[in-house]
Amino acid sequence: MSTHPATKTFSLEYVKTIGMISAGGSGVGGRGFNNPVGLDVSSDGRIFVVNRTQIRVCICNMDEEFLGDFASGLGSENGQLHLPTAMAFDSQDRLYVTDEMTHRVSIFDTEGNFLGKWGEQGDGDGQLNGPSGIEFDSEDNAYVVDQHNHRVQKYSRDGDYLLQWGEFGDGDGQLNLPWGIGVDADDNVYVADWRNDRIQKFSSDGRFLASYGESGDGDGQFNRPADVAVDRDGYMYVADWENQRVQVLDSDGVFQLQLRGQATLSQWADDFFAANPDEGEPRSRSNLTPSMPPHLDTPYHAASQSESLFWEPICVTLDRQGRLYVTESRRHRFQVYQRT
Amino acid sequence: MSSDDLALMAHLMRRAGFGATRDELEAYVANGYEATVEDLLHPRDRGNLPDDVIRRYHVAADENLSIGTVKWMYRMITTRCPLEEKLTLFWHGLFATSYFKGNQARTQMNQFNTFRRHALGSFRDLLVQLSRDPAMIFWLDNNDNHAGAINENYGRELLELFSMGEGNYTEEDVKECARAFTGWTIGNVDYMTAKGLKDSFSPYGRIAWHYEYVPDDHDDGQKTFLGETGRFNGEDAVDIIVRQPATAQFISRRLFQFFTADEVDEEGEKVVEAMVQAYFDSGYEIRCVLRALFTSPYFKSEQARFARVKAPVELVVGAARLSGSYREPTLDIDAVQAGATFMGQAIGRPPDVSGWNEGDEWLDGGTVMERVNFAAKEIGDVSKPGIRAIIDRLTTDNDGVLSPGDLVDRCLDLLGPLPVSEETRDSLTSHVAEHGDLHLAGRRQGGESEQRVGELLGLIAATPEFQFA
Repeated sequence: MSTHPATKTFSLEYVKTIGMISAGGSGVGGRGFNNPVGLDVSSDGRIFVVNRTQIRVCICNMDEEFLGDFASGLGSENGQLHLPTAMAFDSQDRLYVTDEMTHRVSIFDTEGNFLGKWGEQGDGDGQLNGPSGIEFDSEDNAYVVDQHNHRVQKYSRDGDYLLQWGEFGDGDGQLNLPWGIGVDADDNVYVADWRNDRIQKFSSDGRFLASYGESGDGDGQFNRPADVAVDRDGYMYVADWENQRVQVLDSDGVFQLQLRGQATLSQWADDFFAANPDEGEPRSRSNLTPSMPPHLDTPYHAASQSESLFWEPICVTLDRQGRLYVTESRRHRFQVYQRT
Repeated sequence: MSSDDLALMAHLMRRAGFGATRDELEAYVANGYEATVEDLLHPRDRGNLPDDVIRRYHVAADENLSIGTVKWMYRMITTRCPLEEKLTLFWHGLFATSYFKGNQARTQMNQFNTFRRHALGSFRDLLVQLSRDPAMIFWLDNNDNHAGAINENYGRELLELFSMGEGNYTEEDVKECARAFTGWTIGNVDYMTAKGLKDSFSPYGRIAWHYEYVPDDHDDGQKTFLGETGRFNGEDAVDIIVRQPATAQFISRRLFQFFTADEVDEEGEKVVEAMVQAYFDSGYEIRCVLRALFTSPYFKSEQARFARVKAPVELVVGAARLSGSYREPTLDIDAVQAGATFMGQAIGRPPDVSGWNEGDEWLDGGTVMERVNFAAKEIGDVSKPGIRAIIDRLTTDNDGVLSPGDLVDRCLDLLGPLPVSEETRDSLTSHVAEHGDLHLAGRRQGGESEQRVGELLGLIAATPEFQFA
């Protein structure tokens, strides 16, 4: 399944898949990703991917050139990551990476140099308990999802605490283990309210504006949404994590389409099979989208057995050209789509 | 609430679960023994740490074995329906399938889920699902079992290790059983075999396996199996197997040994007979077989209590449940799994197709040290919520003033009740007496008085008596 346009005005076209699992065991091994959880694109179009296993930030481009990595290896020292969760660039190409183990935000330049950090564990103003999603507004203010405190905190780009909103609950403005976050062209903030199965929209000072979605697997319903991105026209792209799909809603929350994934072999994967025909040849004779027996007929199990489908889409990112990048933590890759 | 009732309920929960806290025991006793047995036999409202919460934190869950099995550890530690998990562990030991061959964690986790789904239901359905289980198919080579070129491996173990036991079938039955299961394989078998044997994650991670029936590869000819003749397929073979008295004996005996005593003595034989009767009366329902066991006078007797060495998983999960740890995802969960592995029970990696050797074989010099260290560390940690609950109870006793003897007796009671030898009790009391009476009133969290309790609890967890269920 690919796209299901609900209107004539919105559609997405699959572009390509980039990535594969990186080589090596616990060490770090060159080209590839390993459980990627966050992605963002620098102003020069380079793609930065942060990995949860074989921890590091990888750099590549749309031509599938692997350009290097930094922050390699697990640790809590300056410039190291322990359990990275998400990342985002500010307007000056400074990359901010959240880490739910160290409860802080680390800052790097595009060459991987460590620039600074903020955050400590706690529930006071500016303190963090499991930071996850992060995004910037037009004035370079950072919004950080503070998952275990069930709130969002707003900082200056240097980490000065500005304000916060949210508390545990399922009412308007309340949150339950929120995860990803997006900001629209008007600096409104959208939060993936993960365990409430909805997206909530707030003003930049935290005033509740709207809520989209409810629990379920139908159009416009969510099952543990992990991330949200908003384009210049207000379309919301939601990583509907447990439904193993991406949904697009318009600015009023009206369902537009869903993506289930249509991954093809990346260049790196092609290279792998060329070098390993003992796997490539039987793969070419295989049915890679099998039907499931009833007890495994769920999006999760279907994704685990079908290579082309999204498996745990964890991050949605839009670049300056309006391309959509869907990062799949379990398939060690991202799929790229283009609005048409 | 009588101490006898508490002791009996504690026994049931050690065997049908992984032990229980005092709060839980009191609730179970208030519910009554038979009603608690029924609740255990009918799992609902499990309350375990949800999979999605685990997977959000452990993002590679299911992709490699260690992270996949910690999911099960969380479940065992947090479930309110422990018999379901205990039985899943039993089936994993009986239908022992190892990760080392297929290198397919997701598929192995699916197998555990199948065991859980059918744990208390029809043994017939369980055997059918086992025969369709991709991990088992690959483990015992049924993907190489073809019409005209049989591989006997699965057919043989199905009869010998999984249902009837040696001596109850012929070599011809093995061959005919294998013929019945020709065509039962996994999808994309060539590609999955190539990936599995190379332990290949590339390029996009594991692809979980699925069962596939290939009619063209099934031997549809007439077969004579266990005295019956027909054009049997695999399900027919299972139907015939579950009708055999030997099967009823085999499964009842194995359940008795797992839940009650390593050896089946004369009195035990009577219980096994009742279990066999329940097996047939109910149409092969494991739930009914276990009801016959748990409500038997033998199971409830003093003789049955503390008569089995805790398996490593029982020990680590029981300690974690008692201490109240791991209610949220944490990297520390690795220590629980690693602990069981060092003690000799690596989930997902039984030593061979016959599973783990239970009983006294769990104890040797090396594993005893691991067992003692793990339990003492877990239960001696006064920062853990379950241990704090014990300290809270002690504080209400005699205004928080306890003599060394009283303190030892109360702690033994709250960790069990755990009967110990006079020698063990004297040794514990002498140690506590070095610092006189304990004053818990006005205690400071983590302070000296609490640490004395923690030290004693750790010492009790290190006693020989604590190693038994």
